[in-house]
Amino acid sequence: MTIEAAAVPVGGGAAARPRDEFRRPWRLRLPLLPALVFTILVTQVPFVMSIWYSLTNWKIVPPTPRKFVGLDNYGKLLDDRFFRDAAWVSVTMTVSAVLLSLVLGTLLALLLDRQFFGQGFVRTLLITPFLIMPVVAGLIWKNQMLNGLYGVLNWVLERVGIDSIEFVSRYPRGSIIAVLVWQWTPFMMLIVLAGLQSQSSEVLEASKVDGASAFGTFRQLTLPHLRSYLELGALLGTVYLIQVFDHVAVMTGGGRESTNLPYFVYQRSIGGGWVFGRASAYSIVVVVTSIIVATVALRVLSRLLKGEEIA
Amino acid sequence: MYRQDVLDEAGIEMPANPTWDEVAEIARTVDSDDMAGICLRGKPGWGDLGASFTTVLNTFGATWWSANDDGTIGEAQIDQPEFKTALEFYTGLLADAGEDDAANASFNECLAQYRDGKVAMWYDATVAAGLLEADDSPVQGMNGYAMAPVVETESSGWLWSWALAIPQNSPDPDTAWEFISWATGPEYIAAAGDLISGGWAAIPPGTRLSTYELPEYQEAAAAFADQTLAAMDAAPIDSPGTTPRPGLPGVQYVGVPEFQDVGNRCTEEFSGVIAGRTNVDDALSACQDIASQAVS
Repeated sequence: MTIEAAAVPVGGGAAARPRDEFRRPWRLRLPLLPALVFTILVTQVPFVMSIWYSLTNWKIVPPTPRKFVGLDNYGKLLDDRFFRDAAWVSVTMTVSAVLLSLVLGTLLALLLDRQFFGQGFVRTLLITPFLIMPVVAGLIWKNQMLNGLYGVLNWVLERVGIDSIEFVSRYPRGSIIAVLVWQWTPFMMLIVLAGLQSQSSEVLEASKVDGASAFGTFRQLTLPHLRSYLELGALLGTVYLIQVFDHVAVMTGGGRESTNLPYFVYQRSIGGGWVFGRASAYSIVVVVTSIIVATVALRVLSRLLKGEEIA
Repeated sequence: MYRQDVLDEAGIEMPANPTWDEVAEIARTVDSDDMAGICLRGKPGWGDLGASFTTVLNTFGATWWSANDDGTIGEAQIDQPEFKTALEFYTGLLADAGEDDAANASFNECLAQYRDGKVAMWYDATVAAGLLEADDSPVQGMNGYAMAPVVETESSGWLWSWALAIPQNSPDPDTAWEFISWATGPEYIAAAGDLISGGWAAIPPGTRLSTYELPEYQEAAAAFADQTLAAMDAAPIDSPGTTPRPGLPGVQYVGVPEFQDVGNRCTEEFSGVIAGRTNVDDALSACQDIASQAVS
């Protein structure tokens, strides 16, 4: 609105007419064209090709002639128990990792928002897990923390008299979620911290003067203020975590409780399955459902938190 | 491979050509809190658990797939009783007398546990013997060796090789060939014995017959050299089981393109049984579906 209002006086008057040629939308956007073409080439073309592959029975080992089979791959998909298993793993893994890291991230952010000695140092330490490469994080946790024989966690458990637990073998999904939470809590923490620091101190002081309890202030003022930050964290977290692959590959190498959709698509295609037609159908379904889920989830979340504000 | 001292102490003698029942009984007898009876691969992967377990199912009379008359791949056979017996035997033995965290163990994990004195026996590739008898091995000189255990077949065990190749676009194929010839030739073997930290026992076994004529190797590898040759000779690569099967020659794998994926995903299921997350019947029914899907 303000931009339009400002543009009117400048554009008015006969002298401005020749400059209008440059102001035409397509001219302004022209410099962006190479980037647009590039983006279409590297994202949309492969996507359209995947759609085409998903309508064929393409399989390269043993080499089989590619044949158009219509929606056959999609029809078989719902019958495939392994696809359903992988979908369920993806849902539980993503939802629990996002929620847990959001909660932990918020708690840590609340602590970090206070003034204390060594704040910068502590903040740096807390951010570190997010900077570690996923493969490295997975391997460190698997071999140094969770290992049944040599793991730090089991060493501690044995000191307090609990028999060692083979975490990764026994609880593959839980172990992967734990590592994901460990890596993504700092990310959520940073986002929430930004939200906390943008909160006006006058409002907080006013609530203190009015005699609100610390928890009341948090629930009635801080949480509604954080809404958009939490939404952003949840959205970004979901977008990234739904495509988790590295942790699954290095920690368990798949299995009924840890093969999520990306790993499943990998297994069925270049990971040894070589059924590119069917694997393409899987990935198309994954993309479409994640877009739908993300949109719906965001709306629900947004409404949920808005309700809080009114109350 | 087994710890001679441990079996001696228990008053047990390992037959030269044991059956799996005999090995399982010994494993259960010597199993204790400090030392597991036997180390078997349990880590998912067609070349990990898949390799060890395929030799076991072969000798139990089972097979992954049947073969058509022309030797091509037929129907999945995971739902057959022999397959179930083999899987129950393997997972049961690991549950009773297997190593710690068996569902995560393959060659390297078992090697570490055996050298640490945490297992009394180990069923794996013959190449391990040289590492157990190496100069830097804590269990050097404490081991006995027997042929791969059997049930229904004359012999079991497996045969595998790692190979070097020259890419077609190599800038200098002649030098590459010279290097490969040297690295796999008798000269390398003769030079390596004095140079590698494990000493003569740890040089690559089974790559050249001439290795076995070197006096230094005969002395250092006395405990296992003959056994290695015998095991390689006995590996039933052309007929590993009791029924016709596709993908021959091959013992611990099925030489068909479908096997990589099926082997990986089925051993994930079997490893789940070893970890106690699922049961034999569930794993077999999932695996039958996987193996059938692959050939449909």
